[in-house]
Amino acid sequence: MSELFPFKQVMGFVFSLILTAVALMVYFLDMPFTTGMTVLLITAFIQAALQLVVFMHAGETGDRGSIYTNLYYAIFIALATVFGTLLTMIWGYI
Amino acid sequence: MKIDNSLPLEYSTGQNQINILGFWIFLGAEIMLFGTLFAAYFTLVNRTGSGPSGADIFEIAPVLIETFVLLTSSFTIGLAIHAMRLGKKKAMLAFFGITLLLGLGFLSVEIFEFNHFYHVGAGLQTSAFTAILLTTLGTHGAHVTFGLFWGLSIVLQVRKRGLTPETANKSFIFSLYWHFLDVVWIFIFSFIYMKGLM
Repeated sequence: MSELFPFKQVMGFVFSLILTAVALMVYFLDMPFTTGMTVLLITAFIQAALQLVVFMHAGETGDRGSIYTNLYYAIFIALATVFGTLLTMIWGYI
Repeated sequence: MKIDNSLPLEYSTGQNQINILGFWIFLGAEIMLFGTLFAAYFTLVNRTGSGPSGADIFEIAPVLIETFVLLTSSFTIGLAIHAMRLGKKKAMLAFFGITLLLGLGFLSVEIFEFNHFYHVGAGLQTSAFTAILLTTLGTHGAHVTFGLFWGLSIVLQVRKRGLTPETANKSFIFSLYWHFLDVVWIFIFSFIYMKGLM
C-alpha cells in the first residue's frame, strides 16, 4: 500500500497545502495591499513550479531541454502580455 | 514500432515521446491564452459601472472548497500515474476515478457559485468587470468539464485494453492536462479571489 504513496509526491501535496494556507493569510490577517500582493506573487509562482516539477515530471526525459525552452517561452509571452497590458492600459495613466 | 523497455510505458515508443512533447507545446499555448485573459481581467477589474465589485460578490467558503478539491485531485492524478508506472492497473483506475469525482465536485461548487453571482446581480452583461470575471472563470471551468469527459473515456479504454504503450501515453498526457488546470486555478485563486477579497 505504501508504495502507492511516494514520499516525493506526498511532500509535494503537503507543501502545496502549506502554500495555500500562507496565501489565505492575506485574507484572514487583513494585510495591506502591497504586502498581500507580494505574498500572493511568491506563493503562486512557487506553487506553479512545484506542480510542474514534482507532479508533471517536466525534467524527466531527454526532451527536458525542449520542454523547458517551450515553457519559458510561453511564460515570457504570458508575462509580457500581462505586464505590457498593465503598462499601456493602467499604469501609463496614473 | 520500436519499444524501449528501459523507459516507462508512456515514453516507450518514439511516437509516444513526440506526443508528450507535442502536448507540452499545446500547454505553452494554453499558458498564453490564460495570460491574455488575466491581462484583460486586470485591465477591467475596476470598471464595475453600476454593478457590484469583486469584494461585494466573492465568498470565501466556496473558493476554499474549490481550491482544496482541485489541489487534492491534482495529487491523486499524480498517484494514478505513479501506480501506472508500477503496473498496478486497479490502483491506477481507483486514483483516476477519485480524481474525476473531485473534478465533478469542483464543477458543482463552481456552478453553485455562478448561480450565486447571477442572483446577486453579477451576470455576464452587468459590467466590464463581471464580463471578464465570468469569461476567465468560465474558460477554466470549461476546461475542467472537457477534462471530465476526456478522463472518463481514458478510464474506459484502460479497463478494456489494459496498460499498453498507447493507453499509458494517453493517461500520462491527461495527467499533464489536469495538473495544468490546477496551476491555472492557483493563479485564479491568488489574483482574482484573494486579491479581490483583500
